[in-house]
Amino acid sequence: MGLLRDWNYVERAVQIPALSEVIREALIRALFVRDDRVLPADLIGDLNRVPRVTVKVKDDGEVRKLVRVLNGEESTVSLGLNAEDYHYFRTQLGVGRTREFGLVPRPRALLTYDWIVPEQRGVQLDFSAYGAIEFAGDGHRAIAQVGATWKQLYDDALSKGHAVPFVPTVPLDFAVGDGLFGDAPFASFRGDFGTYVNGLRTISPYGHRARIGFEEVANNGTAYDLLHATLPLAAEFFVPVEVALRLEAKPANRKTLTYSFEDGPKLSAALDRLSRSGPGIGWVHVTDAVAAKTLRPAVPPEAFTVQLSLAATATGLAAREKAVDAAMAGFKSKGAETPSPFEVPAAAYRKTAEAVGRSVFVGEVRIPAKLLGDFIGKVRAFGDQSSARAGVYASLRDTGIASAFPSFAAPKDRDKVYDLSKGVRTIVSGTPGAAFTSRLAHLWEEEPGFLRRMALLRSLKLEIDAAHVVQPLIAP
Amino acid sequence: MANLDYAYRRLLNTLGPERVARSEFERMVYSHDFASVPKIALLQWRLYPDFVALPKTSEEVSALVKLSDESLLPITPRGGGTGWYGGSVPNRGGVLFDMRRMNRVVGLDPDGRTVTAEAGVTWKELEDHVESKGFALRTVPLNAIGSTVGGAINSASVGFGGLRGGSLRDSVANLEVILPDGSLLKTAAAADAGGQLADLTPLFLGAEGTLGIITKAVLRLVPKPEVTKPVTYGFAEPAAAARYLKGIVDAGLAPYHAALIDRDHFVFERALRPDSPDPVDLALVAVQGSKDEVSDQEKTLDALAKEYSGTKLPPTVGEGLWRERYNNYSARRLSRGLTISYNLVPLRRLPEAVETALRLRDKLKLNGSVQAHLVDTTTAALQPYVLMDDTKPSGGTALGFVKRMGDAAFKLGGHSMGLGLFLVFNLRKMHGNATGAYSAVKGVFDPRKKINGGKTFEVWTKYPWPGIRAIPPPGMAIGLEVAALLRRAKPTRDRFVRTYEASKGG
Ligand SMILES: Cc1cc2nc3c(=O)[nH]c(=O)nc-3n(C[C@H](O)[C@H](O)[C@H](O)COP(=O)(O)OP(=O)(O)OC[C@H]3O[C@@H](n4cnc5c(N)ncnc54)[C@H](O)[C@@H]3O)c2cc1C
Repeated sequence: MGLLRDWNYVERAVQIPALSEVIREALIRALFVRDDRVLPADLIGDLNRVPRVTVKVKDDGEVRKLVRVLNGEESTVSLGLNAEDYHYFRTQLGVGRTREFGLVPRPRALLTYDWIVPEQRGVQLDFSAYGAIEFAGDGHRAIAQVGATWKQLYDDALSKGHAVPFVPTVPLDFAVGDGLFGDAPFASFRGDFGTYVNGLRTISPYGHRARIGFEEVANNGTAYDLLHATLPLAAEFFVPVEVALRLEAKPANRKTLTYSFEDGPKLSAALDRLSRSGPGIGWVHVTDAVAAKTLRPAVPPEAFTVQLSLAATATGLAAREKAVDAAMAGFKSKGAETPSPFEVPAAAYRKTAEAVGRSVFVGEVRIPAKLLGDFIGKVRAFGDQSSARAGVYASLRDTGIASAFPSFAAPKDRDKVYDLSKGVRTIVSGTPGAAFTSRLAHLWEEEPGFLRRMALLRSLKLEIDAAHVVQPLIAP
Repeated sequence: MANLDYAYRRLLNTLGPERVARSEFERMVYSHDFASVPKIALLQWRLYPDFVALPKTSEEVSALVKLSDESLLPITPRGGGTGWYGGSVPNRGGVLFDMRRMNRVVGLDPDGRTVTAEAGVTWKELEDHVESKGFALRTVPLNAIGSTVGGAINSASVGFGGLRGGSLRDSVANLEVILPDGSLLKTAAAADAGGQLADLTPLFLGAEGTLGIITKAVLRLVPKPEVTKPVTYGFAEPAAAARYLKGIVDAGLAPYHAALIDRDHFVFERALRPDSPDPVDLALVAVQGSKDEVSDQEKTLDALAKEYSGTKLPPTVGEGLWRERYNNYSARRLSRGLTISYNLVPLRRLPEAVETALRLRDKLKLNGSVQAHLVDTTTAALQPYVLMDDTKPSGGTALGFVKRMGDAAFKLGGHSMGLGLFLVFNLRKMHGNATGAYSAVKGVFDPRKKINGGKTFEVWTKYPWPGIRAIPPPGMAIGLEVAALLRRAKPTRDRFVRTYEASKGG
């Protein structure tokens, strides 16, 4: 997602003498909205320099070659292009000039917004045709090419006797790779996306196939857990091409339960209790009335809807359901008929995804579950004030943390997105134990410990990508 | 390098005389970890630290780390010293930090469901503390009595609770670390940001003390379950018990713990304690939850065991094993030493892995037991141990087993665990073309290699001179391979337990 690059750019931009008078936040805004009244022409030039070449990947060998061409190890001739494509490739990239070129994978679906600083004329990788999934015959692991869609993975796994534990909290038509180079909000009750990633097959900045982590086992006891430390920014260190995933057995008995709540405090208390309740819960999904209406247009929306998937032994399901009912005390109604948005046929899923994707999303807010109801109320009020009707999609973790994604009915222009992001930040900053983890939030954050950790990550990126080929950093 | 007496005085000024040691005996105690190291290793390394320092606060740790800029003495962090790969043992003397005086549970946040503990607290102490407050740890290393919070994180240990509570990484929310420049780093944001906001915590999981000194950890908790019940099933052979463990995952069950212990373990136990259970290849499963849930899970496990031709054993067997779960290696009393091979293997290949371990043990004429447990839905830990008498010249050759077993784990699609000083040759096998990316982490955090230098990625010797200052890691592998060959050439099987020999027809 170019987060390190954006962050590095901002860090360097604040040091430019001509911009030293501009306060950091105003500079970030100007960069985000590409404000040419504030920014010098050079910077505007950087922001408008987009990748000119898109390569549709069909084979990881092509990525290896491309990396080698871009890092200067091989010449463009080795790409084996016909004369016309060859000419196009060279002129678009500007090969022959003394500049570095980078590679950037393109997410299939983007929940929030694009990077600030684009790949400077480099190459964009389109993995949409690289989507095969391989399941182990007798084990619960899958190796998915990054272009495989989440929905395909979910459905194929079920048909082969496995369960994919994680679901997208905001159900867009994500590819699995969007969890690595996009902002797909995959999560389950028991963990984030990383919990289910055993390893990545990647192409290193030197064009080698390099596996980070393992394909079928956890990486404990093998030196640093580089895999999980870099996972949210994986594509700034390597080019991930396949993901080795840890699945679960398809439960023999499972049920989707739906509870509605009339008010926020009851919802919050129930979620807090639920997060302490025992095993068997796969995922817990929460929507307010606005989000529920988009997600399930056929069902009259309730103020708050909590849907969860529950699995247990044949004899234990009833007892588990009772325990969940007890945790959810205070609900207005309960049903077992409302289908989950994840289980519907692929075409219906895509249709819903399209509808959901029309809203503006500004990123994830992590918040103690017991404050979720209150938070949703504040987001709704803020949406009303900003003439952008707000809703919230959220999921619950067994740590007691909810992961909430405010949505706004607003035009997708960058000024609006920025202002809405700022509004959400203001709400989060007044909420104890909450964190706004969007890309803009990373850029705004000035806590010294955070800046130090980012600087360490940047140093690590520069070490690993010494060839400057995987979304290379640039300075204004 | 500054004069040692000067360095000693500076250490005394920082910690006071009670918390700095330099006597021969104390230095000797710290010259090895749980693995038995043949004396010949002293030719290669200065395993004895020059000084042992026992800091009590993060500030003291920081001061000690900064001191090493003056003294140029290398630093070796150490927790309980129960590791097996030489991570907590010096290779060039220097100052060893024994972290066990930093043993306070700093606080438990019942709302946030986290506990903050200093790095030197043992897992058993921490478990007792959180349980007394109505909570439980998500995962606990098998060796909870000796192992410390900092040591287990640096080893990325596996143990109890993984299948249900996630890995150790999932349970660590934040760390306080003193970096090689003496500064203090919190590895994650104060709020739970789900790996975002530049979370560096995973880099310290398995870091083997090479990136900095962990002084505090914030760990996630779960509510204490109402009941924990161990049940055991006997099987005709260890591989059948392994198939049962896989069956548990295939059935979608997630018990707190599921392990296999082969019958030989009980033969050794019998030789020590006549009242220990009858030798049998068994599966030990611990289930948790409300009384009803536990009884339901038990019934399901019983039915599943029948499918795999397992026989339920009397409750006393499981209860006894569960009570003693943190004391698994008393067999070392029979031989004066014992070595364990830690590996992770694909769960679907566990039966094959168990058979391989048994074959290897017999081929190398060792006495030993094969044990395994579930780690997650694709991973099993395979941890066979073999007895060895390291006071005899032939004793050390048992270490050849660790090498061969690790090789087998790689072949099965898994890996051995730990690199430290003795197993660095496995690094490339683990990470292949990505190896350079792993060593880059060390370069970023500790470019001068002050803390646990010359381990994990390279093998320094005690000699600082070019040419012999490091051993190529494959050299270490050759040594262990020779040990394995010597074992194979040995005409007779080890004879630590007469009954064991009888059971093997010897
Ligand atoms: C009986 C027994 C059973 C075991 N079972 C298991 C098992 O099931 N699974 C498993 O993975 N391991 C197991 N082990 C191995 C070992 O006990 C564990 O890895 C253990 O968690 C190490 O903890 P420790 O405190 O003894 O660390 P040590 O051995 O003291 O140190 C381990 C590493 O961590 C570093 N270190 C220690 N403390 C710090 C600190 N505060 N800051 C920075 N670096 C530090 C050391 O330098 C060293 O590299 C077992 C060992 C024994 C003896």
